[in-house]
Amino acid sequence: MKGLGLISRLLPLGESLLAGLVGLAVGAIIMLIYGFNPIEAYFALFRGSFGSLYSLSEALANATPLILTALTFAIGLRGGLFNIGAEGQVYVGALAAIAMSLFKLPSGLHLVLTLIVAMLAGALWSLPAAILKLTRGVHEVISTIMFNWVAHFLAYYLIANILVDPRRAEKTISILPSARFPILVPKTSLSYGLLVSLFWVGLALFLLWYTTIGFEVRAMGFNPAACRYAGIKRWRTALFAFLVGGLTAGAAGGVHVMGRPPSYAIFSGLGGLLNLGFDGLGVAMIGRNHPIGIVLAAIFFGGLMAGGRLMQISPGVPLELIRVVEGVIIVALAVPELIRIFRLFREKITIWRRG
Amino acid sequence: MKSRIRLFTLLVAVALLIGGLMVVTGGASAGVALKGKVAVILDVGGRGDLSFNDMGFKGTDEAAADFGLQMDAIQSASDADYLPNTRNAAVSGQYDLILGVGFLLTDAFNTVAQEFPDQKFAIIDSVVPQPNVMSIVFAENEGSALVGALSAMVAAYYGYPKVGVVLGIEIPVLYHFEAGYRFGIDWGNKKYEQITGTNPNIGLLWTYTGTFSDIAKGYAASQAMLAQGAGLIYNVAGPLGIGDLQAVTEAVRAQGREAGPPFMIGVDANQDWMGDGHRVLASMMKRVDRGCYKAVADVVYGTFQGGIVSLRLINRGIAISRYQDLLDFIQFGINAGAITEADKPKIISNWLEMRSKIPYWIWDAVSELEMKIVSGEIVVPTANTIEEMQAIRAQYPLP
Amino acid sequence: MTFLDHFFGILFISLHAMVPITLAATGEVLGETAGLFNIGLEGIILLSALTGALGAEAGGWLIGLLVGIGTGLAIGLLFGLISTYWKGDQLIVGVGINLLALGFVAFELIILGAPGFHAVPREVQVPNINTPIRKDLSPLIFLTLALPFLTYYLLSRTQLGLKLKAVGENPAAADVAGIRVNLLRLLAAACGASLAGLGGAFISVDWIGSVTKEISAGRGFIALATVVFSGLNPLMVLLGGFIFGFFESLATWVSTFPGIKEVVPWQVVSMTPYIVTLLVVAGAIGRVRFPAALGKPYIRE
Repeated sequence: MKGLGLISRLLPLGESLLAGLVGLAVGAIIMLIYGFNPIEAYFALFRGSFGSLYSLSEALANATPLILTALTFAIGLRGGLFNIGAEGQVYVGALAAIAMSLFKLPSGLHLVLTLIVAMLAGALWSLPAAILKLTRGVHEVISTIMFNWVAHFLAYYLIANILVDPRRAEKTISILPSARFPILVPKTSLSYGLLVSLFWVGLALFLLWYTTIGFEVRAMGFNPAACRYAGIKRWRTALFAFLVGGLTAGAAGGVHVMGRPPSYAIFSGLGGLLNLGFDGLGVAMIGRNHPIGIVLAAIFFGGLMAGGRLMQISPGVPLELIRVVEGVIIVALAVPELIRIFRLFREKITIWRRG
Repeated sequence: MKSRIRLFTLLVAVALLIGGLMVVTGGASAGVALKGKVAVILDVGGRGDLSFNDMGFKGTDEAAADFGLQMDAIQSASDADYLPNTRNAAVSGQYDLILGVGFLLTDAFNTVAQEFPDQKFAIIDSVVPQPNVMSIVFAENEGSALVGALSAMVAAYYGYPKVGVVLGIEIPVLYHFEAGYRFGIDWGNKKYEQITGTNPNIGLLWTYTGTFSDIAKGYAASQAMLAQGAGLIYNVAGPLGIGDLQAVTEAVRAQGREAGPPFMIGVDANQDWMGDGHRVLASMMKRVDRGCYKAVADVVYGTFQGGIVSLRLINRGIAISRYQDLLDFIQFGINAGAITEADKPKIISNWLEMRSKIPYWIWDAVSELEMKIVSGEIVVPTANTIEEMQAIRAQYPLP
Repeated sequence: MTFLDHFFGILFISLHAMVPITLAATGEVLGETAGLFNIGLEGIILLSALTGALGAEAGGWLIGLLVGIGTGLAIGLLFGLISTYWKGDQLIVGVGINLLALGFVAFELIILGAPGFHAVPREVQVPNINTPIRKDLSPLIFLTLALPFLTYYLLSRTQLGLKLKAVGENPAAADVAGIRVNLLRLLAAACGASLAGLGGAFISVDWIGSVTKEISAGRGFIALATVVFSGLNPLMVLLGGFIFGFFESLATWVSTFPGIKEVVPWQVVSMTPYIVTLLVVAGAIGRVRFPAALGKPYIRE
């Protein structure tokens, strides 16, 4: 009985690993079709992601915002909400952080205030979706998609007008040095912003598993009918999930511009910010919506991205393949039957072996 | 249900089988030993634009072939890639020169050049004030003034009220183009008045599309400008010219013709061969290829040094396209796969016919402007910041 | 140029801009009526724009359009299969499709030689047809104008339409009544996705004549907005598609028009469709009613 419990706990991990393998296998097949050598490519990928301190730092730097956006989605899903608003909330958080550099403040204070404002901006942007959900019954997928796009064009407008760098029209003003996260490992992109992500991981763990509201949120996600019967208020859990999700997504945007060399700014095409929210969704899926799992999955994803850069130099496999792998993993994870199909396949093999 | 699962199982089996095979057949491919290596880092625009990036690629490729070097091209998918890509190249320590093609790489090069003081860098379109970086910049304002004067007079000649310019991402480099173009249109308007007695008051439609890769935006912007009465569209956004030309071609065909007007004005490379040779009137050539070649050659000859290299009209780093350029660049188009050898005679004859339809005094006027710029009699204004650009817009509003 | 000239200029561009939005949205209405919510429209449009272009280059524009439809159909079948028989999460599959398409198209464009874009030769683009008003209208515009009416007829006047509504509204009851719920849902999703595929192929093989990694440019999401706006009524989809296509054209117009570009930011015009949709759902959710079982896999108890 005890063993069974362990297996059921490890099952999600197995599913993630399986989906990861499916994704990498599809990537390998595509490489074969296009005449690349997958062994060489995946070797370069590994070397570029975890092969040295430099590579590992780049992987962690990429993981930093993904952990936060993954938390947004995971907390929502734990509470029975499909909140894909992280994408827009990241933009808003980053814009708010940039706007804080219109002011001059003392070093430490500036950093803390900028981060707080970025988080609050993210939470604020998530609020209308929560209100629409609770008062009008608007499905959060619809409203968050719409708010993502409004944020997208709002960002375009603010970057080109209010926040523009007067000497460099293609980007916003840079975050002032007083509000930047110092670099953690010299000559890499990894900054102390990683600590913000890890802090939120700890906080999310605590909130979800050691507080009453956290319990209510999880209960609501698990069995809403039973919750209603037990008197748990829907609006409390939904508002909590949306707002905490908004805080972490806003933090992702803030940390990204405050801790990402060399420009510490947003470019006019939204460059580095695009898809941070959706990639976070993938990370949450692979991490099975558990904070610890998310950290591991984010490092995996960040590593894929960092290694992908090396992969495109030596065997010449375009970086974009990484996103294909990611997409396949997500589709694979959406299939609850995957494990069952795999088990069936294994049984077939055994039967075939016995002959 | 069962049969479906069986099918899926089969698919997975096939996938794993292929995976197994690849383990067996996988092996490392050995490269040919060459004298040295050059890394070319491209910004988000990337190769295939038939203009800026392809020109940078062409120059480096030619230099690499001439000096027996190996060239690695590193593409950037987004702004977030610039620093890691540059740093990866520097960390590897295997490149004699790391060449950045594009202004957007400025911050990354500035950072990495300081981290690796012994590594040689060169960057096109930007000034990076480090001793180990060669900064290659162009006087795009001078060439843009020439095509501006040409555009205004040709538009007036064919009875169009406006000319248009479709620009890419709003970077200082593009201000050079806009400033020169505005000055040129104004000069052309005045010249036209001098010769014919009436000022055509050709106005300017302009937009920054915010992209160097989304052709669709070039198409949409050009379509809107043509519908507003633009007779020529100046492409200042690399590949967006393909979209611009699509809109121009549709406008031409809607009148039951094949040859312009309206025309497109090409950029960076000679793009006159596009549009069958008779829908691109002229190109503002910016010889990025020569800049790149020079950087590589200097490294090979041991004469490389940091600092600014300025290419302009006087040293033919900037030029307006002529017949010989057409011949050279038709080959460029054939190499890119955009046209075939068989198209060549038709393109040349179309081009000659198109140009001969423009009265000689317009060409004379453009030559006059060119001469005056080269001699220093006329100094074309330029801009590097938003304020400077706004001042020039106020000076030449071109309504 | 008079105001009217400008107005007709925008209107003409809007006629083309509405095609992919309306096609994708009409398809999505089919799927959502049957209870499947596919947020992977954006990915389908992007992917079929690429495959359509490649198909056209291989065998002409008709092949290109068919390949586009086929791409949509294939993804629709995968999506439908996962969300019906395999009881997967539709929303997650949709997100996965979007990411997959984003990566694959960018990847393939690099393989094709020019990262970021690929131009379709003029010779293999859909030929325009002459009409008394304009010489350069795409034939697909007329198909797009007709399709919502056909869909409306299908959904409200035929036996099949009633069955589709039944499986979307109350799959358990439909099951008891002998309707094959999962099969019907699967087919609806596949047919719907193939329309989005046609919309994608239209962009590359007909309208813009090129593929870029951003070619879908949010049109899939605009289509989702259109569906919400329409309240699952195909005739309202036509209206919504036209309005949203108009805003798309207007944004470009505004960004190039001297005198207006300084006053009205094009970004505001671009975000208008999304704001309108939000206002519609916020104000009139009582009117806009979606199938009760939308988004949920049907599990027989």
